[in-house]
Amino acid sequence: MIYSENKCPEYNNRMKTISTLVNRVKSEAAIGTIKKRNLVWLETNGCSGNIISLLDGADPDFQFLITQMTYFIYNNSLSTAQGNQAIKQLFSVLGQDYILAVEGAISTKDNGAYNIIGRLNGKLITGLDAVKTLGEGAAYVIAVGACASHGGVSAARPNPTECVSVESVLNRKVINLPGCPCHPDWFTGTLAHILLYGEPPLDSRNRPLMFYNITIHDRCERRSYFDQGIFAEKLGDKTCMFKIGCRGPITRIDCPVRQWNERVSWPVENDSPCIGCAQFGFPDAMEPFISYGIT
Amino acid sequence: MPERITINPVTRISGFMEIQADIENNIIIDAKTKGIMFRGFEKMLMGRNPFDAVYFTERICGICSTAHAMASTIALENVMGIVPSEQGRYLRDIVHGCEFLQNHLRHFFQFTIPDFVKMPEEYPLFKSDERDFRLPKEKNDRMVKDYFDSLEYSRNAHQMLAILGGKAPHNHGIFIGGITTQATADMIISILSILTGIGNFIEERMIPDIYEIGDYYPEYYKIGGGYGNLLSYGCFDNYLSLGTLYVDPLVYTNNTTTLFNPNNITQEVDYSYFKDNVNNEYQETDILKEKAYSFIKAPRYNNIPYEVGPLARQWLSGEYRNGISTMDRLIARVLEAKKIVSVMKILLQNLIPGTDVQKVYEIPKAGAGKGLIDTTRGALGHWITIKDSKILLYQIITPSAWNLSSQSVDNMKGTAEQTLIGTPVKDTTAPAEIVRTIRSFDPCVSCATHVYTRGNLVYSKQFI
Repeated sequence: MIYSENKCPEYNNRMKTISTLVNRVKSEAAIGTIKKRNLVWLETNGCSGNIISLLDGADPDFQFLITQMTYFIYNNSLSTAQGNQAIKQLFSVLGQDYILAVEGAISTKDNGAYNIIGRLNGKLITGLDAVKTLGEGAAYVIAVGACASHGGVSAARPNPTECVSVESVLNRKVINLPGCPCHPDWFTGTLAHILLYGEPPLDSRNRPLMFYNITIHDRCERRSYFDQGIFAEKLGDKTCMFKIGCRGPITRIDCPVRQWNERVSWPVENDSPCIGCAQFGFPDAMEPFISYGIT
Repeated sequence: MPERITINPVTRISGFMEIQADIENNIIIDAKTKGIMFRGFEKMLMGRNPFDAVYFTERICGICSTAHAMASTIALENVMGIVPSEQGRYLRDIVHGCEFLQNHLRHFFQFTIPDFVKMPEEYPLFKSDERDFRLPKEKNDRMVKDYFDSLEYSRNAHQMLAILGGKAPHNHGIFIGGITTQATADMIISILSILTGIGNFIEERMIPDIYEIGDYYPEYYKIGGGYGNLLSYGCFDNYLSLGTLYVDPLVYTNNTTTLFNPNNITQEVDYSYFKDNVNNEYQETDILKEKAYSFIKAPRYNNIPYEVGPLARQWLSGEYRNGISTMDRLIARVLEAKKIVSVMKILLQNLIPGTDVQKVYEIPKAGAGKGLIDTTRGALGHWITIKDSKILLYQIITPSAWNLSSQSVDNMKGTAEQTLIGTPVKDTTAPAEIVRTIRSFDPCVSCATHVYTRGNLVYSKQFI
């Protein structure tokens, strides 16, 4: 199920965006015209699903990311160091050039007490502390996934730990990569663009246009069924799932083209509706995810 | 005077955790495992559409989301009186098997290997003060290579999952009745092909690596045993025509194996950051509670703590009974990966291509149900009550809540805490023994600490 050349030039260009950027990074890194930059991947109040998704990236893979593209400084799920040494390593970038990626929402209730990320010389550090400390001095801040971009599931009603987005606790621009989780290409492509050319072109909510400029509905492989009014009645049907709850028409992201896990499938191909996980407001604004008999 | 060691964060786990250990004469005399994050999923779920629980509860955990999809689906089927078809069970169990493989590969290579293998420090991610590395250079280098080579295979495990589940993490496939799509012949062949590659990697690299590590760190066969109480809800079990392919719901304590009875589960909060549940009403958080030290509660079976996970399953199914220790726990996980490959192959061979297991389902107006299933890290339970076609109560007890449970009121330590007590620590400035033992449980704190219990589905005991 390897991606093959599609006749549509737009599809081909979209698919090649990442490999073009990454190949450019490879060749420029080899001749020294661009340099590796420090990258911190901070986990806050979330599920750690975005770092797991990043490990699913294939071209480039995680090994290329940490050896050729960046000095990968810290991540709670992967760092060899632990305890005080790990937190020292996390904050070692202060005063230097670094890019900060954050996954997870920022819990603000009781000054962040519901999300402790470690201790520095005995003192408890909350996710809120860490994002504020590292956020202001970073060259770029990237909110990876739904929770970091807009609170996501961590902020679902009644939002028990008062979770908010990364940008709402910082006085600066944050590049948002909503999605539950973030596709590895969306992150790696954004990072490659930063290394080569700086900030990628963004929409009004600071999402990179190269990924978020179309809706799922725009490019859905089942669009012709919608246009002809042929609708699925249940999961597993092969027609348009608008009437069992598909959020494709309001979800801006390129899943129909890019697909998931080295392009083997995506939710609609899997006969299940889009639940709007890459759109602001997920999950509360996207529910019910599945309903039957909508007329 | 005992010396107190605090390790926070414990990296290379999912979520955030602190360990506190009191050491006297180089022996651990007391230990606390503390879950230090909280989101409140059970509270969020109240009032939602019951069908949404499947995709919603997946978001509890980025590494084991399929586990939650399984438990919530089984709980919904239980409320609705739906018995899934055998084809439906095969399909979703194959998806679940993909997650086992992704988890075990990542846990062994990305989380465990850096505990025993010196990683290349020219990369900042691998910088460490740890000193107790014993492998000769040639073997060390080989395992560093395996760390990186494994990325392809864990990625492929998620790719198999996405073939039937649409995407991973947080798949769309598992739902009431089985999975959403139909497995066509080409999908089955693709999965079988990827699975064969993963199986070869497990047999040629992963299994030799763990036994080699065991040879150089032999004392880890002697420490980290703990209570030796083992529990499984069963998985890949009780198929109509295939029987049990892996493990039945069983409990082991005092050298005796008995059938598991779900009515014997209780959960306590005496040392957790929750208000006392005098009236069996909401348990709101209370971060100022004096004796509390963790967001993780204390699940108990017949009032005692149990270990869950690969070692429990390998032991209960009779596949591996070498011992109960830190190293045996790591070996059991690796051997289980091989077992899962063989189970998945049987299920794939029994699929009828193109079977549609989906129907139009009606949300029940009221009812209660439970979904208990063994998942990567062990026994996972979801309990749901529906009223007026909405979720009234939702309760979750995760495998890591069993393993990392807090103390109970009778001063019985949690399972992992007990495994640390009595452990000799050679170097209190770099207490490798503590983190190696804790990581052998594959802790997932994002899962363990989502709680907000209400009601008496699984009641919380209080002693006032």
